Amino acid sequence: MYDTIVIGAGLSGMLAAIGRAERGEKVLVLAKGHGATHWSTGCIDLLADVDDPLAGIAQLAIQHPHHPYALAGPAMIEQGIARVRAIGEAAGYPFAGSFNRNLLLPTALGALRPTAFAPATMIAGDARQLRDGRPTLIAGFAELRDFFPPLIAANLRAQGIAAEAAQLTLPPTQRQHDFSPVTLARLCEQPAFRANLGEQLAAYVRKGGYARIGLPAILGLKHATEVVRDLQNRAGALIFEIPTLPVSVAGMRLYQILEDELLRLGGRIQLGGFVQRAERISDTLVAVFSEAAAREQRHTARRWVLATGGILGGGVRATPDGHLHETALDLPLQTPDGRAGWFAPRFLNAHGHPVFQTGVRVDQRLRPLDAAGQLVYENVQIVGGALAGYDPIREGNLEGAAIATGWAAGQA
Amino acid sequence: MDHIELSLTQSLDHCIKCNICTSACPVAAVTDVFPGPKYVGPQAQRFRHAAQPVPDASVDYCSGCRVCNQVCPTGVRIAELNARARAQIVAERGMPLRNRIIARSGLVGRLSSGPHAPLVNFTLNFAPARWIIERVMGIHRHAPLPKASTYTFRRWFKRRKPATNGRRPQVVYFHGCSTNYYEPHVGKAAIAVLEHLGFEVIVPPQRCCGLPLLSNGDFPAAQSHHEYNVAQLLPYARAGIPIVGTSTSCTLTLKEEAPELLGLHGDDIRAVAAGTYDIFEFLRDLHQQGRLRTDFRPIERELPYHPPCQLRAHRIGRPVLDVLGLIPGLRLRESRAECCGIAGTYGLKREKYQIAMDVGKPLFDFVRASGQDLALCDSETCRWQISGATGVATRHPIEILAEAYGLSV
Amino acid sequence: MQTLSTDVLVIGGGATGTGCALDLAMRGIRCILVEKGDLTHGTTGRYHGLLHSGGRYVTKDPQSATECAHENAILRRIMPHCIEQTSGFFVITPWDDESYGDVFVANCHRTGVPVQEISVAEMLRREPALNPRISRVFEVHDGSADSFLATHSVALAAREYGAEIRTYHNVVDLVRVGDRVVGAIVEDLRSGERIRIDCTYVLNAAGAWAGKIAALAGVTVTVVPGKGTMVAMNHRMVNTVVNRCKLPSDGDIIVPIHTVAVIGTTDVHVPDPDVFGIEPEEIQFMLDEGEKLIPGFRQYRALRAWAGVRPLYKDKDVASDRDIPRTFKLLDHEERDGVSGILSIVGGKWTTYRLMAEQTVNELARRLGNTQPCRTASEVLPVPRFEHRAHAMVTVSTDPAAQTPHYWLGKPLALVESEHAAGDLICECELVTRDRIVAAIDAGAHNLDDIRRDVRMGMGPCQGGWCIYRTANLLYERRCADGLSHTHANEAILHFLQERWKGLTPVLWGDQLRQARLDELIYAGVLGIHRLRALAEPGGGLVTQHPAIATEYVQA
Ligand SMILES: Cc1cc2nc3c(=O)[nH]c(=O)nc-3n(C[C@H](O)[C@H](O)[C@H](O)COP(=O)(O)OP(=O)(O)OC[C@H]3O[C@@H](n4cnc5c(N)ncnc54)[C@H](O)[C@@H]3O)c2cc1C
Ligand code: SF4
Ligand code: SF4
Ligand code: SF4
Repeated sequence: MYDTIVIGAGLSGMLAAIGRAERGEKVLVLAKGHGATHWSTGCIDLLADVDDPLAGIAQLAIQHPHHPYALAGPAMIEQGIARVRAIGEAAGYPFAGSFNRNLLLPTALGALRPTAFAPATMIAGDARQLRDGRPTLIAGFAELRDFFPPLIAANLRAQGIAAEAAQLTLPPTQRQHDFSPVTLARLCEQPAFRANLGEQLAAYVRKGGYARIGLPAILGLKHATEVVRDLQNRAGALIFEIPTLPVSVAGMRLYQILEDELLRLGGRIQLGGFVQRAERISDTLVAVFSEAAAREQRHTARRWVLATGGILGGGVRATPDGHLHETALDLPLQTPDGRAGWFAPRFLNAHGHPVFQTGVRVDQRLRPLDAAGQLVYENVQIVGGALAGYDPIREGNLEGAAIATGWAAGQA
Repeated sequence: MDHIELSLTQSLDHCIKCNICTSACPVAAVTDVFPGPKYVGPQAQRFRHAAQPVPDASVDYCSGCRVCNQVCPTGVRIAELNARARAQIVAERGMPLRNRIIARSGLVGRLSSGPHAPLVNFTLNFAPARWIIERVMGIHRHAPLPKASTYTFRRWFKRRKPATNGRRPQVVYFHGCSTNYYEPHVGKAAIAVLEHLGFEVIVPPQRCCGLPLLSNGDFPAAQSHHEYNVAQLLPYARAGIPIVGTSTSCTLTLKEEAPELLGLHGDDIRAVAAGTYDIFEFLRDLHQQGRLRTDFRPIERELPYHPPCQLRAHRIGRPVLDVLGLIPGLRLRESRAECCGIAGTYGLKREKYQIAMDVGKPLFDFVRASGQDLALCDSETCRWQISGATGVATRHPIEILAEAYGLSV
Repeated sequence: MQTLSTDVLVIGGGATGTGCALDLAMRGIRCILVEKGDLTHGTTGRYHGLLHSGGRYVTKDPQSATECAHENAILRRIMPHCIEQTSGFFVITPWDDESYGDVFVANCHRTGVPVQEISVAEMLRREPALNPRISRVFEVHDGSADSFLATHSVALAAREYGAEIRTYHNVVDLVRVGDRVVGAIVEDLRSGERIRIDCTYVLNAAGAWAGKIAALAGVTVTVVPGKGTMVAMNHRMVNTVVNRCKLPSDGDIIVPIHTVAVIGTTDVHVPDPDVFGIEPEEIQFMLDEGEKLIPGFRQYRALRAWAGVRPLYKDKDVASDRDIPRTFKLLDHEERDGVSGILSIVGGKWTTYRLMAEQTVNELARRLGNTQPCRTASEVLPVPRFEHRAHAMVTVSTDPAAQTPHYWLGKPLALVESEHAAGDLICECELVTRDRIVAAIDAGAHNLDDIRRDVRMGMGPCQGGWCIYRTANLLYERRCADGLSHTHANEAILHFLQERWKGLTPVLWGDQLRQARLDELIYAGVLGIHRLRALAEPGGGLVTQHPAIATEYVQA
């Protein structure tokens, strides 16, 4: 019997679990597997397309009183993020940035992406610094199929950044082939590999006078800050990482520091446990059943947090005949009426696709409501992407809204 | 095709290509001969066709540890897809002699345990002999081979005076090959604990669960073993008598591996699967029902514990932590290493030995760093691998539980 | 205006036009082929993938059945790398008329279509996913065929024989002098320039667009654009072509081709071959029909949907469009309409393209006084560079069958394994290596969609999630010295994503909906491609937004 079981191991779930474990509760995080944290940039996006995220959020909360940010409230946003930053700090993986001014960091295509906080390993890539006229080098490896310096540099140049591209020579290693970002990240933690990399970078700096060097986000899995520091010293230029396609090394690091923290606080994590049904007594959730070999496993707890991440996380699934359902507890969902309204004709429609706003409607305390506005469970809270009425990817608040609501559930 | 078969086939459809599995796979992390779970699993599966030549070879480097299944966010049964693909390779290209031998743990155990065990053990510890074995059979000369016991568990069990007084609830014990031939003390501890908890323990005739055969791709032989075991266990399963095992791999095979990989889904097979429990899973259930005795003596120790891959495949969390956590003073430090590397018989093979040692390194470091002279692990082959690599004695958690109950084994 | 001259101007780079170009060139007749999009831009690139045994036509269209049976054997010989010898079943399900079975067999015998009845048990042994309630099964020589690759091979051979093939060249007008057509005005879609091509004969092989071309010459050809929708499922639940044993109708056939199983088709009359969409009811209907053949069909993952338009030539009044004969017609407009210098070849099927070309070129050759015989039935076609190396050896399998020249499902994997190329896969789903992508780029691809057709990049479950990004970068790196700038590369990505979206929306549910969301996270979230819209523009030798090649509107 746990005090709290959190279903889902994304940012929102981990924050809720850490919050409850900190209060001395016996906490279990039960999840199907890893998810969006591993796919994303490893930065903390609060709100894109505004200069001042916190002011933008305040505005958003007024316009959309049911938006997750409005439900969590400004205090939870600030405290949740402060907590993540403190965890990062303690783990030697600090985040930098501000609530009031978005950074603009280059993507692996050379677009400039707004984000509020980024790991220290990325921070030197802020466009405001890059635009200081001093030359920047974007460097990668031909063997890495997820990072191509020439197009990044060309797009950056078109945005007023003096960027050039270079392809580095892969330092000697035991491996003959298959250099994924994760593989390279492991190699970067080997001193000899790193020393060779540093020498190559130093040679470029001597030749081209680069003030900054952008590299793919492969600079270590466990000791990234040290790897970057070491390379900066060797190269004689500032270094910044650029996030790559999933799986994202920077995302893995973020997940890892949260998992370490939860375990340190005595919480438990069970992956590979797909929750498929619930057991209730009137409006109390008493148990859930997760899929297991030969029979289901029954889990009991006093209170529950559902953090299954919507369609992206697998918490919401659509059937061919156009129905959407919540996969763990079969909660009522707020969805567009009918399949005809699911999509916009353009893939990159500015407001995204209505279907992706599907989620669970909640009360002020994040507890699930049905279509009539009645409380479904008094001891369940919904956090992150499982919540209805927002599009975390297109609004650019994937991490922010997850952390804010997760933290709120961990406190209340 | 019934629904289980269908769900396995359809599970490859769930893959959204996200690379989470590949970044977690302990084998892909240490060698470039293995392209990783996404590639060999759901990706390659779209190119496989039972009536055409087998197109691939690299899937054979999958150790079956199932880290991938566990982290995959969409529920692709990668390890099972891999096992089936390996079976196709074996069916087409035949199985090397080496695999034939290590896959038959029952046979090897029968031949080597008993009064002549010391001689066998001597040979296996004798370097030139190991060198010959490596050359002829492809079993790496440093790979941890178990020490055969001087007596079998079954013989011991038959000769003892059983606790059948009164109307005790019954429980069936599935000991598996390793307990019978190599580690009878694990079985003795299990019997002691179960009887201490008021059960009458039944040990019906049984054969090797067949997992080594499954993981080496010899499906026909595995099927005959499984059918035999089901026939023996079925009356108990039907009577609602739980079947418990101390080997996480044997219980997993009964529950799921054999039925799913062999495509056996009859009612009998299902009844036995549904009646089978890992011993700590069973004890945890007892505790939840308030039926577990907690008259423990304190054990003031902090021990490293490695939850083996086979346990992960049960998808039941960490029952050892839940149960041993009740013992006053005992603190278990859970290893977060993915795998010890041995993965049943994988790490025994010449071409895979080094991979296995590299895979296991974080675990070995963890065990050594604990500074303890004892480590715990539920799986036999893992225990041998950990002890072999670190020199730290490694025991089954049931032995500690027996100790905490004050039972002499 | 630049002027070119030739003997025969072939209009249309589908199977028929390309086949004609090869046959002309083989016989030493000068020819230029113009195609408004890439090769196979029309129906050829949007077909079902079936190498017909003829079985589907034995009752309603016996002549077609015989032609198919004949051509089937020839194509297996001349283009083995494009064809998988899957075999085919005609099955009687509980929803079908039992009595048709005997009629079917009798008609197969009559039309020369080889057929053999097998037991249901044997069928289930070979295809365990099929409905056990099927009552009778007839096996025929169906196969599956890659029409992209086949057309490229034909075009490669045609070029080797001296034909000139110009893709992204749209015929905007025909030049008529009195009652004779003497040439055409063609727009190069890459540059917008117009070219005049003078010729002795225009061969109208524009498929469903043949009516539009004929109209430019002032003659009427009624081609009924019959739209057929197909759905590709993520993996092959069957490895044999499975047809319902009944008169052909909607959703009655599943073709395993490459990594997917394709169910189809529908037949909906559309007013214009360039304006059509995929209706939700069509998809639901096909899922229902699929369920009859493969129980649980709906639970499998659908990858994408697309539609092609049948170039059905309507001679006289026929009741339903499905009743129009599937056989082809060579129209001599001099005799028919009094306009000389132009012939139209209409109707037919992919399977009979070679025969159509043979008969068409026989006629042209006769008129041009050329007496060379047709040799297309005996010359084996070459393999394009972007395909796996022509004689790449499978070293990973000991089975001698692994060395067959025919395509087999595992072959791409066997080659990747043999070459240890796992780490060099740009499109991981379809196992496309960097070398093959680069070869496709260097072969002159005009957008990412061309590369998709050439090597199947972006056709797997992730629908381009990773490989569009990678391929666009390779395209930029290979071509930036030739005037392809970052703005063109950005545009190429945006264009491809949008093209993909059209084919995706009809089948977005379950895993594919989740995949679409992940792809949105990648492109909008991680890469921020939409932030580069101001830095995207068509050009650099790429064709992305021309109205002449736009097809399909979106309707989810
Ligand atoms: C849904 C469907 C499924 C089918 N399935 C099969 C099957 O499984 N097996 C089979 O054998 N057959 C099948 N067919 C039939 C087969 O696909 C067609 O018969 C064959 O592809 C026709 O080839 P084509 O070259 O005549 O026409 P197309 O491939 O359409 O070629 C005509 C070309 O002309 C070009 N063009 C048009 N206007 C102009 C212009 N103004 N300037 C320059 N170029 C122009 C077009 O872009 C096009 O590429 C199917 C047809 C449909 C509709
Ligand atoms: S983790 Fe699962 S979904 Fe992701 S690539 Fe691996 S198998 Fe596919
Ligand atoms: S089972 Fe283990 S070794 Fe095999 S692919 Fe999965 S993670 Fe890798
Ligand atoms: S012994 Fe072990 S941890 Fe280890 S391989 Fe087993 S199951 Fe995996």
